[in-house]
Amino acid sequence: MSSTSERNGAGAGKNGIPAGKPVSTGQQILDKGAQMLQSFKPINQMSQHACTFALYSQDMSRQIETHHFITRLNQDFLQAAVYDSDDSDARLIGIEYIVSDATFEKLPPDEQKLWHSHAYEIKSGLWIHPRMPEMIVTPELKNLAKTYGKFWCTWQTDRGDKLPLGPPSLMMSPQAEGEGVVNHELVTKRDEKYKMSKEDLVKSRIEIPEPEWINPMADYWRQHKKCFGVDVESTKMKIETDYSIYS
Amino acid sequence: MDPVHATIHPEVPGEKTKIGTSLVDTAASAIQSFGPTKQIHQHLCAFHFYADDMTRQVEAHHYCGHRNDEMRQCLIYDSPDADARLIGLEYIVTEDLFLTLPDSEKPLWHSHEYEVKSGVLFLPGVPGPVERKDLEKVAKTYGKTIHFWQVDKGDDLPLGLPQVMMALTRDGQLYPSLAKDTSSPNFTSQTGTDWANRASSKKTKKSFHVRTQNTRFKLGLFGQTGPMWRLGIVSPSKRRGRTGHIWRV
Repeated sequence: MSSTSERNGAGAGKNGIPAGKPVSTGQQILDKGAQMLQSFKPINQMSQHACTFALYSQDMSRQIETHHFITRLNQDFLQAAVYDSDDSDARLIGIEYIVSDATFEKLPPDEQKLWHSHAYEIKSGLWIHPRMPEMIVTPELKNLAKTYGKFWCTWQTDRGDKLPLGPPSLMMSPQAEGEGVVNHELVTKRDEKYKMSKEDLVKSRIEIPEPEWINPMADYWRQHKKCFGVDVESTKMKIETDYSIYS
Repeated sequence: MDPVHATIHPEVPGEKTKIGTSLVDTAASAIQSFGPTKQIHQHLCAFHFYADDMTRQVEAHHYCGHRNDEMRQCLIYDSPDADARLIGLEYIVTEDLFLTLPDSEKPLWHSHEYEVKSGVLFLPGVPGPVERKDLEKVAKTYGKTIHFWQVDKGDDLPLGLPQVMMALTRDGQLYPSLAKDTSSPNFTSQTGTDWANRASSKKTKKSFHVRTQNTRFKLGLFGQTGPMWRLGIVSPSKRRGRTGHIWRV
């Protein structure tokens, strides 16, 4: 199955260094020139950076630190570009959509299975807004604690892929027990980088209300003891519209 | 970065953003660093179609950054506006990198040569000569595009499975109404696009073509049983639903 297959030796370059030569001066000049002339409205709407952890649904022992660059479209919907670090050379590893509980409840059950809850990762201090004073972000954390997310990961950098291979993976969120527990070393490494402590956040977030109810279709693996993998299948491409349906 | 919130999004369900929430956004965008997204330096327009259905064609606004001289990574939106929906992403690599991919991976990628030569792929707002210099490079690249939000189907939320997308490879594939959509401000007001002239001004040499004739690829979902997380055994099922689930219990 593609999303858990052995790492392929795709791309040139040493381990950890991305495939490809550094950007040439000529390209940099082209980029700067174009950048001055173009408008980047959707990108300028990104207003928050959050750092948390995610787990591959097809193998929850594989866990990654994620950096979300989030745009809010309205009170009930956010969209995030997800990278594997917050450095300028970060790799774009996927996209996450976040909806309020009100919106989530309106989704069909088959759709709900693909989503995960956020309450635990907020309350446990796994989800942080780097460099933001906790007091300022608390209103947002109160919103986020009641949300659900759908996160597709398209580049499995944790297994050493030098290029994005295979189909996207569905990702799950950290939870308090079982396969959902995030590896301690991963969290410590993150906390040291941002000079913070998850344990302190647990205390300061005590007042953030837990949602009264988390829909059991979310975090599907918890109730159903199975989860999802995505594979590629070949199919015949439709190339003509069937106009007879309009007659 | 000064975010301007779409208060009520015309297409995405939800309440207007509350003041308390938007204050956090304003503070965060002032205090936090946005290293990866600051690398996004280029807006590129093109069309994609679904890998299993060429009749569904989508306008795609790419916002791209270079990871290095041979690879770009792009966020794809459905419009260039502030309230644009993030519908997918694309990775773009040079031919050299493309050729290092395993054979099983290559069919998920598409070439860009035709799109550039025909003028269907372009950089809004950038004068021809400057645009041409970069597009000469893009013409020789290959892309892997995945969409997560089927806005063309009218979905008001990102439902279902990811979709592999493909790019145009010859004349006659793109719906004329999309190419000459004068009601779309995206193409005309910014660029005054004249498709015929765009096509003839680009001459690049032929490059490697991905063979993408009759076989297309779509993504299916299957269940795995725990607690060992064994791979679920996949077998093609005639009872495949709209979302392409293949279940084996």
